[in-house]
Amino acid sequence: MNIIETQDLTKYYGQVRGIEGITLSVKEGEIFGFIGPNGAGKTTTIRTLLGLLFPTRGSARIFGKDVVRHGPEIRRDIGYLPSEVFFYEGMKIRDLLHYAAGFYPGDHTQRIQELTAYMELDVNRRVDELSYGNKKKVGIVLGLLHRPKLLFLDEPTLGLDPLMQRRFFDLIQRENRENGVTVFFSSHILSEVQRLCNRVAIIREGHIVEVSDIRALQQNSYKKVTVIAPDLTPDSFQLPGVADLRVEDGSLRFYFKGDINQVLRRLAALQVQDVTIEDPTLEEIFMHYYA
Amino acid sequence: MFQANIVRHELRRSLKSAWWWALGIASVHLIYLPFFRTFADNAAVLEKSLKQFPKAFLEAFGMGRISMATVLGFYTLIFLLVQILLAIQAARYGVALISREESERTADFLMTKPVSRLAIINSKLAAALTALLATQAVLWLVAFAGWAVFNAGHGYDQGRLALILSSALPFQLFFLSVGLALSQMVRLVRNPTPYALGLGLGMYALSAFNHMAGEIKLEWLTPFQYFDPATLALNGYEAHFLALDLAVVGVALALGYWRYLHRDIPTVT
Amino acid sequence: MKPIYLYELRSNLKSLLIWTGVVALLVVVALAKFEGYRNSPELLQIMESMPKALLDAFGMRAFNLTTLEGFYGVMAVYDYLMGAIAAAMWGANTIAKEEYNRTADFTLVLPLPRTRILTAKALAALTTGAAFVLLTWGISLIGAQRYHPTPAFYAFLRLEMAGMCFIALLSWALGMAFACLWKRPRQAASAAMIVVLAAYILSTVQALDQRLDFLKWFTPFKYFDAGDLYRHSALNGVYVTLTLVITLVLVAASYTAYSRRDIAL
Repeated sequence: MNIIETQDLTKYYGQVRGIEGITLSVKEGEIFGFIGPNGAGKTTTIRTLLGLLFPTRGSARIFGKDVVRHGPEIRRDIGYLPSEVFFYEGMKIRDLLHYAAGFYPGDHTQRIQELTAYMELDVNRRVDELSYGNKKKVGIVLGLLHRPKLLFLDEPTLGLDPLMQRRFFDLIQRENRENGVTVFFSSHILSEVQRLCNRVAIIREGHIVEVSDIRALQQNSYKKVTVIAPDLTPDSFQLPGVADLRVEDGSLRFYFKGDINQVLRRLAALQVQDVTIEDPTLEEIFMHYYA
Repeated sequence: MFQANIVRHELRRSLKSAWWWALGIASVHLIYLPFFRTFADNAAVLEKSLKQFPKAFLEAFGMGRISMATVLGFYTLIFLLVQILLAIQAARYGVALISREESERTADFLMTKPVSRLAIINSKLAAALTALLATQAVLWLVAFAGWAVFNAGHGYDQGRLALILSSALPFQLFFLSVGLALSQMVRLVRNPTPYALGLGLGMYALSAFNHMAGEIKLEWLTPFQYFDPATLALNGYEAHFLALDLAVVGVALALGYWRYLHRDIPTVT
Repeated sequence: MKPIYLYELRSNLKSLLIWTGVVALLVVVALAKFEGYRNSPELLQIMESMPKALLDAFGMRAFNLTTLEGFYGVMAVYDYLMGAIAAAMWGANTIAKEEYNRTADFTLVLPLPRTRILTAKALAALTTGAAFVLLTWGISLIGAQRYHPTPAFYAFLRLEMAGMCFIALLSWALGMAFACLWKRPRQAASAAMIVVLAAYILSTVQALDQRLDFLKWFTPFKYFDAGDLYRHSALNGVYVTLTLVITLVLVAASYTAYSRRDIAL
């Protein structure tokens, strides 16, 4: 079952493009990565899905319901962690959490206690005196306190120290594994997407460039090949499917997409000193998309 | 369509400010009232000289319509200042009602909760209205208590005083709703104070000039004229102005609601 | 320093235009009203027969409303009020907005001493305020042209605008002081506004009773009372000195406080 489904979702701010023709679906229980550089339209997409922005064209459904018409109903089961969190001045963390919990039916006291303990938060502190990282922690508790079925994370690790990042990832993975929470994870840091996500969509200048299984993206598309041999020239590997070929200090490096046997045949004809054929990191794939 | 915890939350914040406004209103009373006695004595001379002129003529100039030697006449001076404060207060609540969440960057927090925008605006409006009513309650209290102490032996029609005071409600509703509509017409209100002052004092200035006779009439533009204290003291409400006031409130609220329910929530950087 | 000054000047432009529009509207409305007063001997008679206390309460003492000078004299207090509010707002917000818009961390780490940043911003606000007074002057002059003003009118208007200028100067310093001294930047402009409004209310109270005469020292609206200006055809040196001294004290306090201020995030 698809938790999120968008159809040609488009948002213009006056004449300025936010996103254009976004069509994607997120399945129940998956951790869906949404990657792209700053200004690509990640936050616009999330804010449109949350009903903060009205689409210029197209539509989006969450839990099978239209986001424009059924916003409040949908949001009952959504948690959101914005990239930068802001709270009401002069409130204590405890009061803020209590206020937020009041929007969801049921008693969340115990869950709040668990989460604040896990994130090591002192609930007696005032929200406007918190550091960036501590605000983020409060944001995490706010996003999870009502046991949402779908979680939107917008650049969630920004401002968290490595230790807390790890805790946070563990928490998200646990929520996903044990409670079946679907996660929509927007980021420009690929290593964390790589670590967490099952599938990713790459967004660039408001358009989806590619949606792919994370392993497929790494394994099936490109191989990174490094060859060290005497008398190498760039011509040694002039093949269809070779990209970004570089010669450095007697080593040759390129990315290859296609039948790997072609490369092996060329290699067999050479007297190689060393050769590696590996999966590129997401970072490298990413560079390729934005090149 | 109300959300109880929003109402509570908003009420806690707005009552805190309502208390300060009430304090301002009480101060105006306390500063002015002790001078009623001396003022009444002076004004007796005035009565005599004014009698020489045709009544219609004086009324045209908005002067001498009501004797400052009477309690209600003197109160029109106080009430005008009170109206300025009430106007700015209500305009500020109206402008800040929704825009505050945006300028303080809490809009995303609130609006990703499972509440409809309708429930948000209803709840906030209810809280603001309660705060205004609380302010007005203090106004009634200081007005009646003040006159009980400082009437200097002059009697007055308590019903009329109550009528004057009751005008505070439709008066503030005007500024609350117009302020709300105004705030929803611009993309982002960073600071509500200039808008509230502009609206409140602008309407006051318009009215101040209308007090003088002249070719053009502006009374239908400003609630300071709909609820002119002297007119209220002498003749009570003017039905067409009250109706106009409520019509403006209705239109402004409709506009404010409609815009809020259909607009994008800006991100503030 | 210059880029900051220019940037602030540009960002004040919109509100300057709005305030100028309000002044223009006020002049148009007032002059429409003046039509009804002009050359009306009956009105003159009434005015003369009225007790001073009542005229004071209406702020009309010393004014002959049937003349252009008289009419502009009545308008003075509204010009003052607008000059005061606008200048206080610019004085406060130009400085305080850095904090509530969270740009302070950008501006204040520029390789400039804080005092120079403050100077650039304060000057920008001051320039805007001065422009506002000049525009008010210009609009008042244009509005008066239809009625063929006398040299005496020009002289009086000059005094009135000097009064507005001093009041705006004082309010600018007040706004600046609140922005530098008040802990919560978002409230600085409002707090300055409360002081301005309180001073205005005080000036109306002062007229109620002669025993309250001493109150005039506490409200700048009385320092440059248009009635006094009309009667004496000159600014009162004592009040001008007082205004300048208060302004200096506020500016000095602002500089001291701002250079030590903890900038809110």
